[in-house]
Amino acid sequence: MHLKYESQLREPLVYGNKTYAQVTEDIVRPIEAKPSRLWYIGFFIAVTLLMFGAYSVYREVTYGIGQWNLNKTIGWGWDITNFVWWVGIGHAGTLISAVLLLFRQGWRTGVNRAAEAMTIFAVMCAGQFPIFHMGRVWMAFFVMPYPNSRGPLWVNFNSPLLWDVFAISTYFTVSLLFWYSGLIPDFATVRDRAFTKLRKKLYGIASFGWTGSTKHWQRHESLSLVLAGLSTPLVLSVHTIVSFDFATSVIPGWHTTIFPPYFVAGAIFSGFAMVQSLLIIVRKVFGLEDYITIGHIDLMNKVIVLTGSIVGIAYLTELFMGWYSQNKYEGYTFWYSRAYLFSPYGWSYWGMMACNVLSPQIFWSRKMRRNVFVTFFMSIIVNIGMWFERFVIIVTSLYRDYLPSSWSVYYSPTIWEIGFYVGTFGLFFTCFFLFAKYFPVIAVAEIKYVLKRSGESFKPGMEKIEAQELESFVHDQAHAH
Amino acid sequence: MEQKKNWQSFGELNKSEAYNKEVENEFKEDLPMVEDHSGLLNAKAPRRDFLKFLGFSTAAAAVAASCEMPIKKAIPFANRPEDIVPGNANYYATTYVQDGDVVSVIAKVRDGRPIKLEGNDLSPITGGGTSARVQASVLDLYDTARLRFPTIAGKEATFEAIDSAIGGELNSNAVIVTSTITSPSTKAVIAQFLAKYPGSKHVTYDAVSYSGMILANEASYGKRALPSYHFEKAKAIVSLSADFLGTWLSPVEFARQYAAGKKIDEKNPAMSKHIHFETVASMTGSNADEKYLCRPSEMGAIALGILNAVKGKEITGVDEKLKSAISAAAHALIANQGAALVVAGSNDVNVQILVNAINDAVGANGTTINFGVAANYRQGIDSEFAALVDDMNAGKVNAVLFHGANPVYTWPAADKLKSGLAKVKTTISFSGKLDETTAVCKFVIPDHHFLESWGDAEPITGHISFIQPTISPLFKTRAFQDSLLKWSGASADYLAFLKSFWSAKLGGEAGWNKAIQDGVINPSLANVAGASVNGAAVANAIAAVSAKKPSTKIELALYQKVGIGSGQGASNPWLQELPDPVTRATWDNYIIVSPAMAKTLLNIDLNNPGQADAYEVQPPKKVVRLTSGKTVIELPVLIIPGTHPNTIGIALGYGRTEAIGKAVVGTGKNAFPLSSFNGQTVVLDNADIKLELTGETYPVALTQTHFRYDTTQGNRTEIMKELTLAEYKHSPKEIIEERANEYRGQIMGGEKMSDEEVVANFAKDATIYPVYDRPGIKWGMSVDLNSCNGCGACVVACNAENNVSIVGKPEVLRGHEMHWLRIDKYYSGDLENPNVVFQPLMCQHCDNAPCENVCPVAATNHSSEGLNQMTYNRCIGTRYCANNCPFKVRRFNWADYSGADSFPDNQEGIVNDVVLNMSDDLTRMVLNPDVTVRSRGVIEKCSFCVQRLQAAKLDAKKDSRPMVDSDIKVACQQACPTNAINFGNANDKHSAITKVRVENPNRSFYVLEQLHVLPNVTYLAKVRNAEEHAEKAEAAHKA
Repeated sequence: MHLKYESQLREPLVYGNKTYAQVTEDIVRPIEAKPSRLWYIGFFIAVTLLMFGAYSVYREVTYGIGQWNLNKTIGWGWDITNFVWWVGIGHAGTLISAVLLLFRQGWRTGVNRAAEAMTIFAVMCAGQFPIFHMGRVWMAFFVMPYPNSRGPLWVNFNSPLLWDVFAISTYFTVSLLFWYSGLIPDFATVRDRAFTKLRKKLYGIASFGWTGSTKHWQRHESLSLVLAGLSTPLVLSVHTIVSFDFATSVIPGWHTTIFPPYFVAGAIFSGFAMVQSLLIIVRKVFGLEDYITIGHIDLMNKVIVLTGSIVGIAYLTELFMGWYSQNKYEGYTFWYSRAYLFSPYGWSYWGMMACNVLSPQIFWSRKMRRNVFVTFFMSIIVNIGMWFERFVIIVTSLYRDYLPSSWSVYYSPTIWEIGFYVGTFGLFFTCFFLFAKYFPVIAVAEIKYVLKRSGESFKPGMEKIEAQELESFVHDQAHAH
Repeated sequence: MEQKKNWQSFGELNKSEAYNKEVENEFKEDLPMVEDHSGLLNAKAPRRDFLKFLGFSTAAAAVAASCEMPIKKAIPFANRPEDIVPGNANYYATTYVQDGDVVSVIAKVRDGRPIKLEGNDLSPITGGGTSARVQASVLDLYDTARLRFPTIAGKEATFEAIDSAIGGELNSNAVIVTSTITSPSTKAVIAQFLAKYPGSKHVTYDAVSYSGMILANEASYGKRALPSYHFEKAKAIVSLSADFLGTWLSPVEFARQYAAGKKIDEKNPAMSKHIHFETVASMTGSNADEKYLCRPSEMGAIALGILNAVKGKEITGVDEKLKSAISAAAHALIANQGAALVVAGSNDVNVQILVNAINDAVGANGTTINFGVAANYRQGIDSEFAALVDDMNAGKVNAVLFHGANPVYTWPAADKLKSGLAKVKTTISFSGKLDETTAVCKFVIPDHHFLESWGDAEPITGHISFIQPTISPLFKTRAFQDSLLKWSGASADYLAFLKSFWSAKLGGEAGWNKAIQDGVINPSLANVAGASVNGAAVANAIAAVSAKKPSTKIELALYQKVGIGSGQGASNPWLQELPDPVTRATWDNYIIVSPAMAKTLLNIDLNNPGQADAYEVQPPKKVVRLTSGKTVIELPVLIIPGTHPNTIGIALGYGRTEAIGKAVVGTGKNAFPLSSFNGQTVVLDNADIKLELTGETYPVALTQTHFRYDTTQGNRTEIMKELTLAEYKHSPKEIIEERANEYRGQIMGGEKMSDEEVVANFAKDATIYPVYDRPGIKWGMSVDLNSCNGCGACVVACNAENNVSIVGKPEVLRGHEMHWLRIDKYYSGDLENPNVVFQPLMCQHCDNAPCENVCPVAATNHSSEGLNQMTYNRCIGTRYCANNCPFKVRRFNWADYSGADSFPDNQEGIVNDVVLNMSDDLTRMVLNPDVTVRSRGVIEKCSFCVQRLQAAKLDAKKDSRPMVDSDIKVACQQACPTNAINFGNANDKHSAITKVRVENPNRSFYVLEQLHVLPNVTYLAKVRNAEEHAEKAEAAHKA
């Protein structure tokens, strides 16, 4: 799967003089040990937020969408903003696990497990919004195209919202499978180390009877490759389709052909930022600095500065087209409703610009890329910025569209609207805390796979190889066993 | 094996003829169809029809059966009442009467409940037009705040007890205080009563009085009356801030007449010219061709100026700006000698005398003004009431009977009136509600609602309109006339009295029946008479007016709103939620100031986009404290262009007692104490005021906000088209050219096409998709912006017809109002004195509707007849359709406004009491059973009154004939007093809608046409007969 050859210039992917046993010990120990106080506090906070979110949703379902401050002009606000935001976050995991797998990027092994978990939890959070933004959520099953007893009632395949249903459910399913298939060997490791009966049994079931035979490994590798192949187009398609919710409409500011690539870039941007936020905490709390290294952080920051700049170009292109098209509606939306700082929502546009385009440019500096604190701070900033991006797209386009007569009064959310958002944080972190406690947060098997090539202690061996003549290298490899 | 036959009777065994017949007639009762069945059975395809009916009823039964909504109190008739067919409406001619406002109407009665009022086409006065207040009055019938029984000192009493108590108290010196009574029979009843009690009198008191006019007419012509007006004959109309389209005298009648002069024949365009002198932005002023701003105190000087100018004398006493305005007005009047009309809203006798003199000079008498036929709309003389108040305080009055008048609320010196009333032994109120005056009366004998009453009205002498009950009285109420008759010792009740009163005049029972059926009696020929002005009176008036020094201070003008009036509409939620045409505000009154005053008073500069935005998007508005003498009121301030820089306006009719209904709770302040009585008439202007900013804010529920929307990339001209008559005459194809230029680029080869070709081919050529024929019916609507004056009758009619929910002020503040039809207001031109155009906007029923393809569950789709349909029970409420609607006409049920939700009765504290009250069993009786009441969480919008369309189609089908346009009138079209809305089958070459579209190709446009959503609503551009622009247009074209 990986290049045999790796430049000596590349820094090791695993620090410390790790052996296979040590790797297992380092990663699996937290599962076997009692959780720390910090874990309990964090978990309690997460569950509290989740409960508040559940109550907010309860109010909205029982009393009506009027519990939110949306209005006749702004039909979507925080709900769909949060939806797109979470879906965007859910992009990094699959990108890391699938696309980087296909591109043979060894460094993904340190971060892929947690990133994929994050993806799954983020998509779960995202899914709440399209469901509960419905006025009659108890009729939500109407969006399912199945032969039914409701007469000739069928879904409308023209609707981008229906495409969303398929895109997101597919993405979720494939991501979950991919994640789980990677977990199987690691669950088996936990099972084999288990010293309580219950744990042995549960992890035994979860590992599907994995024995580690060559046959198993071969099938596992094949499955990974197939799922990676399936996931890769999904990384592009999901946010493309989410962007169609807007791009296929007639509203100035939404009706834009640039949206698919721009949304995908933005999604990867925010996804990587979220991975950074989480992993910086995880490596600290679980002491995994040897596996999730500064090198990883550096690499992901490079992705952030790249995608952030792509997003920036998209913003500028929109502004340019707003002028170049000479379309008065686009012109108004982009140049007044958004880019004019003193218009009612001008602050949100410039907040977005500052967070997404200007601030990531700091990562052109290697020193900054390798600074954990700066990275953590920036990852938060980027996610705030990306939230603003969706807010800007949705609210500033809607609130002043074609007819000035229907332009809206100022929209600010109610406590229950905020509560729903906060609640999804609760859901996300509740899941993530459980994951961190019960699952190996780093792919043990995959780390072992790269350990002998990219582990710190094995790196010096590369010097010899590097000095070798090609013929002798080939000869050596041919007769390796 | 042989089939065994079971039998229950010998008949069955033998298949006797008698038995067979009995079996056939086992369920003997006829279907509840009154009509001849032969039509149905002889229809071209009875079998198919039968199958369709069968299919429909099976489907309907299935839908009904699967519906989980609990049905409350559905009790079938044991015996079917005559004339009531379940599901069929009955129509009765009756008359809306409130104070002096009289509108002949047809009441639609479903299952014994009146649910909708429509104008009576047989009335030549209103011609089937109505107003917002007429449309809303049906809701008052089911008002939960109505008094349900008579009371003595607040305690329930029987009519007998009351009659005997009053019989003991009434002896002499009784005064009947009423608002204007237009009913001849009621006047006869009152005369009987007065005859019985010596020293008694009848005082007519109008909350907003026209005493000044009546007295002026007496001084000028020796006639203490109002003339009838003929705006339709006027080619030049000058209004000295008379709001004759909204609230002045008889607005429905005048709007209809006025519109006649504004309808344009494209081949030979001509229209009347309306010049308006405006103090505070008004609906009528907004419709004017030319509008000039002035102070209320300048009215006299302006009237004098016009009088001088038409007589060729010099104009004095006004500034340069007004001088040119006056000469323009005089110029127009002289140019149209004999077809000119001047009206004034002032209640100042002298101003009105001068107006009479002008009218005399321009030959209005006998043409546009007819003193030969008196109008009875208003008869109150303020000084008579003032004298009564003095009498009461002096203890000279033994009894006061209030009917229709509420002076405790409306009289400027209410405290003096209250102290006077305390000295009167017997106080009786006939009010249907516990209003301010009724609250201080000893005896309360609630009168019927007009839909429960018998009666008559004579708005203009010779024009009689009858009132007949459409429902039995809901509560223990009694007609005012019945009480008077009883106390006069008459044996007959009012119905008998009325019948004998008219039967004699109408030639017996048959004449009476015909009159009741038609609802109106019209005079065969109008008696036209001129009049000549008394010169001495004019000279006195000139002297009085000239002596007045123009004020330099800030002045206050009190005005009435179209819906609320002088407070009559305050308890009606439909009217409270009807956005005011001028301010677009609901549920409150406020101080109106000009943009210029906003700069100094509020420190808000509307020319600064940031400040203008901040003012517009934030509902809390700055509160100003207004002090006038001892009266202090604090009100929020709205900035309304078109208001004189030194004049402010406050609407009357707010701040009512909470006893008259939940709708008045927290709505505005009473402005009547700011008016005054000057010894002759009540004055609604006030130059003695002080304004100071309080530092507080108060949220005002506006349904429309205003911003500049022209950008460097062009103005949004395709939303609203407006031009002057001169421009139009000079280049009639201007709008077609504009339309073509807007989207020529969207058509392949468009640059080679002529403008007409581009417009004609746009629908099919500006798309890559194939275009389909749309045979059969294709519903279409056309709205003439030249006729529309923004009055809002259509909005309330739509509320009533389509069960559109009321949401209350807190929800309107959040942009949750549900109106299916709204009237947009656009400004153009100068910020201080802009032109205003009203544009009714409803679902445009686009043939290429953006809402339809985004719904994931196909809850909204297109009918083969061009309707954009909404399937409520499919809707899951994603609101995507509303987002994607370029017209933003879709409305979402944010909460359970209608009590129709699956989670019932949980909205306390979520929506306010007014909305909850609309779900009360009594209030719900107003609901139209033909229209689904929408539940929480679904989208709704204008359906083009699909229930009416279906009914019309079925009727035509039952008669085996093709449906024609006259079968259908949609609710907004029906309500419109100016016939601004046309509706019908656009595929029918003979339909009215086709005619409008064919005859007006140059003025027609679609809103946002370039989006290629293909709306089915055409608009006819607003044309203004404005001089200034005409010259500019000439110059521009010459240059």
